[in-house]
Amino acid sequence: MYTLLFKSFFRTKIFLISFVLLMSVGIISIFIGKQYLLKQEKASIAAQEFQLESIKRNLEYHNDDLGLLLYYLRFTMIKQPANISAISIGQSDVNPLLQAVTIRGIEGQKYDTDFENPSLLMSGNLDLGFVIIYLFPLVLIAMTFNLYSEEKELGTWRILTAQTAKKKLFLFKKLMIRVLFVFGILIVLLIIASSVLKIAIDQYFLALFIQSVLYILFWSALCFWMVSYLKGSSFNALVLIASWVVLTILFPAIVNNYVLNKYQVPEALNAMVEQRDGYHEKWDLEKDATMTGFFEAYPQYKNYQVPEDSFSWIWYYGMQHMGDLAAKETSTDMMDKILQRNIFSEKVALFVPTMHAQLNFNSLAGTDMLSHLNFLAALTEFHEDLRLNFYPKIFDNNAADTIDWTKHEAKFYNTERNFNWVALMLPTVLITLFVGFLGVMNLRKL
Amino acid sequence: MRRNVVQLIVLQFWKDAFRSKVMLLASALMVLLLLFSVYSGWENYHDQNHTRHVMQDEVQKSWENNPDKHPHRMAHYGSFAFRNKHVLSVFDLGMENFVGNAVFLEAHKQNTVNFSEASMSTGLLRFGEVSLAMLLKIIVPLLIFYLGFATIARERENGTLKLLIGQGITRKEIVIGKWLGLWSLSLTFLMAIFLILLCFVFLESHGSLADTMFRYSTLLVSYLLFFAVLSAIAILISAFSATAKGALIKLLGIWLLFVIIVPKSLQAMGYYLYPTPSKIEMETAVEHDLIQQGDSHNPDDPHFKALKDSVLIAHNVEKVEDLPFNYSGFIMATGESLSTEIYLKHQNDLYQVYQKQNNLERFSAFINPYTAIKNVSMAFSGTDFQSFLHFKAKAEAYRYKLAQDMNQLQMDFIPNRGKSGPNTISNRYWKEFPPFEYQFMKTSTVFKNEVIALLALIVWSILAVFGLLNLSTKLKAI
Repeated sequence: MYTLLFKSFFRTKIFLISFVLLMSVGIISIFIGKQYLLKQEKASIAAQEFQLESIKRNLEYHNDDLGLLLYYLRFTMIKQPANISAISIGQSDVNPLLQAVTIRGIEGQKYDTDFENPSLLMSGNLDLGFVIIYLFPLVLIAMTFNLYSEEKELGTWRILTAQTAKKKLFLFKKLMIRVLFVFGILIVLLIIASSVLKIAIDQYFLALFIQSVLYILFWSALCFWMVSYLKGSSFNALVLIASWVVLTILFPAIVNNYVLNKYQVPEALNAMVEQRDGYHEKWDLEKDATMTGFFEAYPQYKNYQVPEDSFSWIWYYGMQHMGDLAAKETSTDMMDKILQRNIFSEKVALFVPTMHAQLNFNSLAGTDMLSHLNFLAALTEFHEDLRLNFYPKIFDNNAADTIDWTKHEAKFYNTERNFNWVALMLPTVLITLFVGFLGVMNLRKL
Repeated sequence: MRRNVVQLIVLQFWKDAFRSKVMLLASALMVLLLLFSVYSGWENYHDQNHTRHVMQDEVQKSWENNPDKHPHRMAHYGSFAFRNKHVLSVFDLGMENFVGNAVFLEAHKQNTVNFSEASMSTGLLRFGEVSLAMLLKIIVPLLIFYLGFATIARERENGTLKLLIGQGITRKEIVIGKWLGLWSLSLTFLMAIFLILLCFVFLESHGSLADTMFRYSTLLVSYLLFFAVLSAIAILISAFSATAKGALIKLLGIWLLFVIIVPKSLQAMGYYLYPTPSKIEMETAVEHDLIQQGDSHNPDDPHFKALKDSVLIAHNVEKVEDLPFNYSGFIMATGESLSTEIYLKHQNDLYQVYQKQNNLERFSAFINPYTAIKNVSMAFSGTDFQSFLHFKAKAEAYRYKLAQDMNQLQMDFIPNRGKSGPNTISNRYWKEFPPFEYQFMKTSTVFKNEVIALLALIVWSILAVFGLLNLSTKLKAI
């Protein structure tokens, strides 16, 4: 029975179209992921060279003025993308993976964006994640919408019912063959991806695989449920395409609009202005206005003298610090708002498998919002360490060549990716079981 | 072709459409979506623009309230430019949320425009956004195809087509009648949305109302054409398919190709074919070129040494301190113009590559009407890339003027090193410096930018008419 069903399936036009579409777009998407990794790699190398070169060149000119030298020097922190991120590029095209900062105020530097074509950002990356989330369901729909109705409409259903008692089993087997075919393509694409993109077979990759399988099972259950109403082909096609539009376009977009409006972030713009004013107004004030705040934060530098009527680097970097301090509260509020956006989105996603899959792919790949916020936190810490390391040397008027500059190479940041198997799997499993159950209940009538 | 017969067919089409439950459900859903889009589009526009206006004013006030000081300090104090939303962004969000909103303008440095909504969003942004235009571009076409797939195919399957022709109704009347029926039905959504939009335009248009109305009318006409083309495609596919089912499957396939697969694949292909440098690579290249030209940090740099000598000779003095203007102000002015020129050249090169990346999709407007309407819609709503670049260019021009005006003040009023005189100037100079005021791109420029998309839309319209006329003679009754 299975062999016959397989044969008849392989002879259909839809099989050929699906196969060619998924394989070709899938492979293109893997190469787009590859190019993304290459681009990051290139940028990372360029950043390391840039730092070496600029230290070397600036040392020539400003050896006797460390304060001035460090006004210019930029230190890079690079978020090393995990290779799996090529499968789900996520937010990492919008949020830069590397940031080169001076030891001046961090607030004015850490939100700098990288260059990317906004048309591309808008249309989104054609990564394998997209193929799985958008195209796989379409192919499933195309292969299953007439699972029953084609037999009915061609008149073969009567012959079938005459020949077999297990009508339900027949439909179920037909469905199984199609679902297995899609799984086959998924596995082939993931194998190609793991070898082309050199992705380690670890828990993240496994989790991504399982998430994909569950996601496809969800769509299979949904198609099965539709078919179980035993309606005509046109009706099924329409309803399934409408579900696809609602689940992959309309509903997530509505939630997104809602989130953007509900948690607006005017703090971003405020923090930017507060930082500048917090720093610049100090130029026109007594030195104490700066130094009191600075020494409060860093009592270890209290013993340094700050000349009242002339410029000094301790005063200058104190002023820079005051800028960050002025923006600190608003900046924290901004981070909170972004976190709230994330929490809300994740909550809604528990009920919508498309959104759940997308957010999970991103977090498994380390390309989600949280991962970027962690990077920003690490960058702030990196900046603090740099300053604390350089401050005493600047304040002591050390010459620049007393510092071992070879220690100041670009620094790499490794993403921490945490995930919970239950939270990852359970929502989709429950929804799939529920939808599948509805389908089975419907079919009892058959 | 008899007018009353065509009218009759149109009327019948409307009646049939509203008899179906799916249509009622879809209409109800559309109304809800429409209300949501209006609400969220308006709130977004209104709140964000309000915040930005307030900020822009505050920034100007704090600029003016600076006390007397050295002009170069003011050049570093700098200013900010906040990007205003065009009132039509309520209609089409376009790239609105993917481009930055605020930029710090200071001497010596072109900062990036930061804080795009995308940079503060979760992964959900990838699914797109709901806007009035999105309903018209994506959802209504699906409805048109749904309403149109059966028009002719089912009549033929049922044998009613043969009856109609038998009763003396010409093929042309049937084709045109069905097409007008479908088109007019789709226009109900269009009109509802554009009426609401008109209210916004009158309520909120800050700039020239005439200019906004010009954009508005172009959008309206473009969508009219777009729906006419889609209706024609639906009728043609329906007529050339053996069964209604076949027509539906084909139309759904076409919709997926037009709206999702082709635009996204072409954009991705453009990205693949024309790689762009990252920011750090471009900055390295800029710095490299700058050092080649002249390194103002290097005391022995030949370019700046030659400049110094020529200035000394021109003013017939021996030391820079004896020049009639502040020499470091002069050097900074020269450096600013040099570095800005080099930076803009590199930036321009980068945008050329973007242009190449986008062209693949842009020219596909001739094979995909969705791309044509997408580009027209964004451009005339002031939410396309060119509109962003226009803002960015104005902000950069303001930055440059700010830096150079401060340099000029320094040259004019600050004494050279070792000479007597005050080291600060009066704060009335800050008050005299005009605030940043952004004017939107002229509509005529938008037309120039979108020639290809508009042309494609016209070509599609002509093709649609030809297709329908062709069908009027070839329509098979059985």
